[in-house]
Amino acid sequence: MTLNTQTFYELMRAQGTSRRSFLKFCSLTAAALGLEPAYANSIAYAMETKPRLPVLWMHGLECTCCSESFIRSGNPLSSDVILKMISLDYDDTLMAAAGEQAEAILDEIPKKYPGEYILAVEGNPPLNEDGMYCIVGGQPFVEKLKAVAANAKAVIAWGACASWGCVQAARPNPTNAVPIDKVITDKPIIKVPGCPPIAEVMTGVISYILTFNKLPELDSRGRPVMFYGQRIHDKCYRRPHFDAGEFVQSWDDEGARAGYCLYKMGCKGPTTYNACSTIRWNGGVSFPIQAGHGCIGCSEDNFWDNGPFYKRLSYVGAGLGVEATADEIGLIGAAAAGAGVAVHAGLSAVKQYNRKKPEPPVAPKGDQS
Amino acid sequence: MNFVTPNGFNLDDSGRRMVVDPVTRIEGHMRCEVNLDSNNVIRNAVSSGTMWRGLEIILKGRDPRDAWAFCERICGVCTGTHALASVRTVENALGIKIPNNANIIRNLMQATLYAHDHLVHFYHLHALDWVDVVSALKADPKATSALAQSISPWPNSSPGYFTDVQAKLQRFVASGQLGPFMNGYWGNPAYLLPPEANLMAVAHYLEALDFQREIVKIHTVFGGKNPHPNWLVGGMACAINLDAPMAAGAPVNMVQLNLVSDIIDRTIKFIDEVYIPDLTAIASFYKGWDFGGGLAGKNILSYGEFPSKANDYSNNSLLMPRGAIINGNLNEIHDVDLTDPDQVQEFVDHSWYSYPDEAKGLHPWLGITEPNFVLGEKTIGTKTNIKQLDESAKYSFIKAARWRGMAMEVGPLSRFTLGYAKGMAEFKDPVDKLLTDLKLPVAALFTTLGRTAARGLEASWAAHQMRSFFNQLMANLAAGDTATANTDMWEPSTWPADAKGVGFAEAPRGALGHWIHIKDTKIELYQAVVPTTWNGSPRDPAGAVGAFEAALLNTPLADANQPLEILRTLHSFDPCLACSTH
Amino acid sequence: MDAQVTPPPEVTAPVYVYELPVRLWHWITALAITMLAITGFLIGNPAWPLITGEPYNHYIMGDIRFIHFTAGYVLAIGMLVRIYWAFAGNTYAREIFIPHVWKREWRSSFFRTIRWYLLIEPETAKEVGHNPLAQLAMFTMFLLGVLFQIVTGFALYGEGTGPGSWANIVFSSWVIPAFSSSQDVHTWHHLGMWYLVIFVMIHVYMAIREDIMSRQTIISTMINGWRFFKDNRP
Ligand code: HEM
Ligand code: HEM
Ligand code: NFV
Ligand code: SF4
Ligand code: SF4
Ligand code: F3S
Ligand SMILES: [Mg+2]
Repeated sequence: MTLNTQTFYELMRAQGTSRRSFLKFCSLTAAALGLEPAYANSIAYAMETKPRLPVLWMHGLECTCCSESFIRSGNPLSSDVILKMISLDYDDTLMAAAGEQAEAILDEIPKKYPGEYILAVEGNPPLNEDGMYCIVGGQPFVEKLKAVAANAKAVIAWGACASWGCVQAARPNPTNAVPIDKVITDKPIIKVPGCPPIAEVMTGVISYILTFNKLPELDSRGRPVMFYGQRIHDKCYRRPHFDAGEFVQSWDDEGARAGYCLYKMGCKGPTTYNACSTIRWNGGVSFPIQAGHGCIGCSEDNFWDNGPFYKRLSYVGAGLGVEATADEIGLIGAAAAGAGVAVHAGLSAVKQYNRKKPEPPVAPKGDQS
Repeated sequence: MNFVTPNGFNLDDSGRRMVVDPVTRIEGHMRCEVNLDSNNVIRNAVSSGTMWRGLEIILKGRDPRDAWAFCERICGVCTGTHALASVRTVENALGIKIPNNANIIRNLMQATLYAHDHLVHFYHLHALDWVDVVSALKADPKATSALAQSISPWPNSSPGYFTDVQAKLQRFVASGQLGPFMNGYWGNPAYLLPPEANLMAVAHYLEALDFQREIVKIHTVFGGKNPHPNWLVGGMACAINLDAPMAAGAPVNMVQLNLVSDIIDRTIKFIDEVYIPDLTAIASFYKGWDFGGGLAGKNILSYGEFPSKANDYSNNSLLMPRGAIINGNLNEIHDVDLTDPDQVQEFVDHSWYSYPDEAKGLHPWLGITEPNFVLGEKTIGTKTNIKQLDESAKYSFIKAARWRGMAMEVGPLSRFTLGYAKGMAEFKDPVDKLLTDLKLPVAALFTTLGRTAARGLEASWAAHQMRSFFNQLMANLAAGDTATANTDMWEPSTWPADAKGVGFAEAPRGALGHWIHIKDTKIELYQAVVPTTWNGSPRDPAGAVGAFEAALLNTPLADANQPLEILRTLHSFDPCLACSTH
Repeated sequence: MDAQVTPPPEVTAPVYVYELPVRLWHWITALAITMLAITGFLIGNPAWPLITGEPYNHYIMGDIRFIHFTAGYVLAIGMLVRIYWAFAGNTYAREIFIPHVWKREWRSSFFRTIRWYLLIEPETAKEVGHNPLAQLAMFTMFLLGVLFQIVTGFALYGEGTGPGSWANIVFSSWVIPAFSSSQDVHTWHHLGMWYLVIFVMIHVYMAIREDIMSRQTIISTMINGWRFFKDNRP
């Protein structure tokens, strides 16, 4: 899909606004801001020329760390993204307005630019209690989310919360929190998972959209392939130690100090699609594995329930009230089978012995070699 | 109806009800309702936490060594502080001792969080309560430059610099797309700064936005990323390798240490030359606006933070003081014991949870988290469209935390007040200096502005502590001690079958406690009582109000349709709702 | 290894059951699965102590994984050949693919076998191919188990070979999302190993037991192809 190349003036005209009322709108805007009338002309000029893409950034159940990550972006600087590249018209974490004045924007923008704004979602909607585990303006977040999504051009799911469900959706998911694609089903959704995602990946996705005027190529799960096409393990700088079988055996041992592979400490890099080992974090300073801790798989679906974090093998069967690794379960199964075989073999031997006795030794035996 | 609360506040809900929902520029979802009298003065305040995720329930049955990661996701703004409290909790329960370096690195990371979080709060979450962005367009860049140079040696202060910033702002405003500044309360008479001060603040809003991302790189070195760096029960995972083979690929080596050292210097400089002067300048224009005290200076609490000796969490070891002050008596500091069942308790009779007996509070080791979303009879609206809350019934997802039955205020101001009361020079001197500079009495501390000021002073304190922690680390390394983790009790087979623990931290927003019960190597119970649980607390069974509600009372609004002063006072606490309800 | 004897007259005539491709396939598969289980277990638990030194001096994990993948290819190609042989070969070549559960005599024979294994029946029926219980086990435990391992195994393999590789396109692209994450696929692939290990334990035991206790030859049949019967009763 390609994105809007219309100016806002064209948009407003298309919606039936006359030139006259457009100019009036501009002077009212200037007046509302307490600016001199001269500003009305600049506003009109700006709206006739180069619009910035309106972005509405909504928050559900979350920890705001995706926003925090976003403002860590160095290239481009998040200040440039917010002030020059997009028009961040709603974001409860940064916006000046509150209450009614804030809510008004959520009504206004979709009406003003139908089909032309991006909805960015951080966090996710809970469905239990009619959605009232996350209330905005007295109403369930999930309803607001659906309403704002209805006219959006595209939706960005920031982080593991919006993409997969994340920590609040971990077993037993008390609020029935769901990823946003469970409630927004008719829009393209770009998933940018991670807990949180890397700052430059977040701004990279946005600047790609703005620069090339199209959405990035997505994989079958909705992630931009440019950042989520490979696993941490595929480009990990410790990979030679993995292939060599040189593993850290315990924290702070000789291997840990030499930067050996963290596989045996539970590193989930081999099963995690993310760009940490290539782009790295906070301007390339380091990333979890470089700092000595294994990857916990934070950009993966279900990663909280695929722990424990310090074991190579995940626990399975928690839903059934047992909790064990595949090997623990398998060993129990094999031991049971072995015991069964032994008992059966014993009983069979007795039977064979008893059976043989009365038999006359005439029946010839088949070849047994 | 008139009502005097047990903690001495006069409530009157007869006037016009005003609702602010969402409260923005905070972490998470919050609603505030106030009643205004005929002079637009707040006579009743109701604050409600409007989100809940159930982390305490989700933690049950998990491996205690994993708990820090779950807890860390309680909040990405005070990122890492819950992880720190969590590893301390597990270590406390199991009797695990951490190496000196791990203690120093943890202190350094926590101080880094203070510096970062306070800075971002001041400029990006709080400044717009004091600074009128649009008014900055009217400023004279030369005069702005003169103002800036008169208060700080910070180099970005030439007339040309401010001209550029103003032009940038002009272009932005003229685009007609105001983005995050849309629908702000520009021109509200409660904005008192002259245009020049506004322009200076806007310039620093942008500079701080660009600089804050440097500070957190310290977390990246030791924890691999920020937000949400990695922690470890028993120490830290960031092994140190200075000159053994393969040091280049080690988590911490000379290059990384140099980066940390450099960032510390720049952080100190930014805070002392930008943040503190801005704070002082802004405060000087708002001196007369002395509202928002509430519980400040009356009932305050701190658990203490920054153990100077590894594994010693006693008062003597803590650089940030521990204690409680009640009824404003600064001469008596009460001991705080987190294991005492009578001290820290949570009540839920005004919260959307249920207890078997809601007249009583529960100590966290006996804590229960069972959601119960019901609205009181006097609620206006419906279950899914609330117009007005009924504060006589359950009205918030925040539990009511109480210390010896009393509502307490926590946070930087409480910590500094304690340090002040204890006569500790590092807290008293900067406070006295600020008060003298502004020609204000000590009482001026116990206001909205005092809270904001204490946070700034604390950011500076923390930045200087970072240098001291770093120097300690280097001294330790020079002495040949490079250990970062103790793995003696890493394996669950070495643990007792039944263990209880408590860990605490002073998070940027205040006192943070985690309580755990480990049974058969799994988490049997996990309870967190968080800074914003204290400050944002709803009423308790006796009707005592929490710090947010108390602080809003008696504040006049300049424009009854614009909640600017409400935001100002709430923001002075730096509310974090994801934290408060978890 | 061909049948060498004319059976004594009182014994039912022997039958050529397992043709050469089936026998070859059986033993190759047995070897491949053994290798896969050993190397797979080590991939999940590289239990050796700390190895130090420059990584280019060692390639232990690399070798183990190489053996695993090679054996994986052997297993998978063998399976393809075996499927072809189900069409091309004799009727016994189809038994493990389609147990005739819908047939009344299959079911009565099935229950008779169960009684026999529960030591209730005094003796087995004469079975030319696999007994019905064995057929069912071959189908549910072996066939489904191995196909599951091949599908999940190549899905994991395709993650390493990367987007665009055949294994990634054919398997990873849908298998990983179907399990919700790569880690889940690893877990199930690992569980699949134990499923097969349990099959093999029981299978080998049964082969030996039936060789001794049933009324026909068993193990030698998988070597020379011929089924001999030990008595002449119906
Ligand atoms: C990984 C190890 C093994 C696997 C996966 C395996 C699998 C199989 C399969 C699938 C068949 C059915 C062949 C067909 O009808 O197409 C079979 C038959 C047979 N296997 Fe194995 N096998 C294994 C090891 C062994 C071993 C070690 C022995 C010898 C003790 C053995 C003895 C037999 C015999 C005797 C038969 C024929 C059974 C009959 O005639 O009913 N197998 N095996
Ligand atoms: C009987 C068949 C097989 C068995 C018993 C088996 C067993 C295993 C086991 C136990 C693991 C470790 C899983 C973990 O805990 O992460 C593993 C990994 C793996 N297997 Fe298999 N496997 C079988 C067939 C295959 C096949 C046919 C392939 C295809 C090439 C394959 C490819 C892989 C790959 C790619 C891995 C992951 C290696 C890594 O993560 O480094 N497996 N296998
Ligand atoms: N309240 C709170 Fe936190 C802090 N500071 C946590 O402990 O912010 Ni999210
Ligand atoms: S994805 Fe993780 S980091 Fe982002 S909001 Fe959710 S919990 Fe926080
Ligand atoms: S540290 Fe983790 S990601 Fe890196 S090579 Fe080892 S297992 Fe793979
Ligand atoms: S834990 Fe997350 S940050 Fe990267 S290295 Fe792993 S995906
Ligand atoms: Mg709690």
